[in-house]
Amino acid sequence: MNKKTETLSRRYEAYIGRKAVFLVIAFLLLLAALFAGVCIGASGMNVSQVVFSLFHDTGREHDIVWMLRLPRVVMAALVGFGMGLSGTVFQAILRNPLASPFTLGVGSAAGFGAVCAIVFYDNGLQPHYVAAGAFVFALISAAFIITIAKIKHASSETMILTGIAQMFMFSSLTSLFQYMGTMQQVYNIVFWFFGSLSKAGWPEIGLASAMILLPFPVLLWRSWDLNLLSIGDESAQTLGVNVERLRMWGVAAASLATAGGICFTGVIGFVGLVAPHMTRMVIGNDHRFLLPASGIVGALLVVVADMLGRTLWAPQVIPVGIVTSFIGVPFFFYLLMKRSREYW
Amino acid sequence: MMPQKRLMLIGIGWLAAFAFFTAEAKAVTKSSMTVMDSLGTLVEISLPVKKVVALNSDCLEALRILKADNLVVGVYSDIIRMPSFWKNLTHLPKVGRWNELDVEHIVNLEPNLVIAYGYNPSRFLEDRLKSFGISLLRLDFYKIDTLEREVTVLGQLLDRTNEAARFCDWHTKKREAIQGKRQKAPIRPRVYLEGYTDYQTVGNDTGSHEMCVLAGGKNIAADSSIPYPHVTPEWVVSENPDVIVKAVSSVNGYDLDNAGFFNRLREGVRERNTWRHIAAVASGRVHVMDGAISTGPRAIIGVAYMCRWLHPDLFKQIDPETMHKEYLEQFQDIPYQGHFVSDDLHEGKK
Repeated sequence: MNKKTETLSRRYEAYIGRKAVFLVIAFLLLLAALFAGVCIGASGMNVSQVVFSLFHDTGREHDIVWMLRLPRVVMAALVGFGMGLSGTVFQAILRNPLASPFTLGVGSAAGFGAVCAIVFYDNGLQPHYVAAGAFVFALISAAFIITIAKIKHASSETMILTGIAQMFMFSSLTSLFQYMGTMQQVYNIVFWFFGSLSKAGWPEIGLASAMILLPFPVLLWRSWDLNLLSIGDESAQTLGVNVERLRMWGVAAASLATAGGICFTGVIGFVGLVAPHMTRMVIGNDHRFLLPASGIVGALLVVVADMLGRTLWAPQVIPVGIVTSFIGVPFFFYLLMKRSREYW
Repeated sequence: MMPQKRLMLIGIGWLAAFAFFTAEAKAVTKSSMTVMDSLGTLVEISLPVKKVVALNSDCLEALRILKADNLVVGVYSDIIRMPSFWKNLTHLPKVGRWNELDVEHIVNLEPNLVIAYGYNPSRFLEDRLKSFGISLLRLDFYKIDTLEREVTVLGQLLDRTNEAARFCDWHTKKREAIQGKRQKAPIRPRVYLEGYTDYQTVGNDTGSHEMCVLAGGKNIAADSSIPYPHVTPEWVVSENPDVIVKAVSSVNGYDLDNAGFFNRLREGVRERNTWRHIAAVASGRVHVMDGAISTGPRAIIGVAYMCRWLHPDLFKQIDPETMHKEYLEQFQDIPYQGHFVSDDLHEGKK
């Protein structure tokens, strides 16, 4: 019996060890991608110049590294992390593999908020109106879902249906405003929906990191509950999980993480769907590891996509939302084909 | 005397017959006219043109240049955004916007001619209007190179050849004066042209690029393979342009009391992260221009401003404000007012 327990314990340690190793490797890869992202740019600085400029005030080079490149890659990592994290949470609480920050209409609501700001307030003088509009509407949409869920006792079906209805409503409103807008406003709207990191600065990063990183420890603390939710509402309830409250907290935290990212960069939506799946295929469904790992994979995806977007067709920039899909989808298919069993 | 009289009568008869047949021939040739549109397509237009529908502001401005605004029976719906500029034309029936036209409304107005841009709206409109006997003519009026030809074509169609010639004469003189002086420019400053969206520049084959070249500048994004590429802020810093010119479309310059709006935008450009390292920012050569004078029939005024910004000493004699005043008062019949650029024309280098 002791031997059996010992074997089980060893197998569990190995099981945990594999996940921890993945987490460490993914984190190191992210650090490498961040470093590469800082080293690549139009100014043609070599690596040693970049490293030197990081720690010494070399004037122009120092400013380029600290005020253009670093904010860009840090914002890319933050947004990717937020999307990966919130995608995992939405998939867990709704117990639906197709769930993402956009399934519940949070992304569409953010888009509508941005469109309102572009059509009514954006004359080039108040760039933060667009971010504020996106953020406010993302939270309004989350609050609406939480209210409906509370009234209807938070079943996943109710939340998904409410989310889809919201998504269509905000998409229609966005189309209406696009229709009303001038050619230039429509161009700005389309470009916002492509996603861009060119306006990332330290003040924006400060706000985004607060909104993206603050929900993370709360979600991690509830990771066991998310694990239990995967075996069904009733079973989780029997094991002491307050499913209704978990869903509502989950929606609130994940919506905040989504809104915090996309309000400054525009829609980089695909990451929220694919990063959790990619990670789950490799390390399974244990949310203690899945949550941080999905965030890191999401961050890696967006940082690499931005690097490619900046370099493939330089000096033109391919919007990060487009590149994310270009590199994410083939990789996702590859993992999907390689898996011999159902992973969800 | 008799034979002489007879000969005279025969001669008069011949002359009368000749005059009659020539007039007939003239009437025959004038029942329609074949012209080339902005896409290089030959289009046959029935004459005389009595009613016109204008689908954009550039062709409407061209119609006013030709004093043919009395022929306009329908206009694009966005005209209401600039009531003081368009005056009575804003009260005409609206036939839709750039992205959605009300074809039935156009048909109900029974125009002979509808004028649209070369590429917008798409070709479906020709087919729809053709079945009602309405001609569609695609003329851009937003490129300096082709503007004079397009105004002349429209002048011929509307029997306003004198008005067309008068405008073309004015435009040619301004253009040639600029071109003549430009030859003497010792250097061509490198220019970053920013479109209406931040970090969106312009490649060649665009109106803004053409303006920059005409004003004696060198567009730093001229090699771009797409017309309106987005670039990184770092690329602009690394290119280190001598002059930055940003165009804006979100304001109606004709109604502005001062240049505060443009100045605030200029400050925003100057204060972008690390842009203080750009030569243009360091030397105060950042300028903002209303889209109304950076494209369309008034683009020559935008070129004049650009000349002053790019070569302040060489183009000291050129006064874009006077040029604009002449244009508005002589060719648009409206008084000169408003502000169209950041308020730094007379300051030179800051």
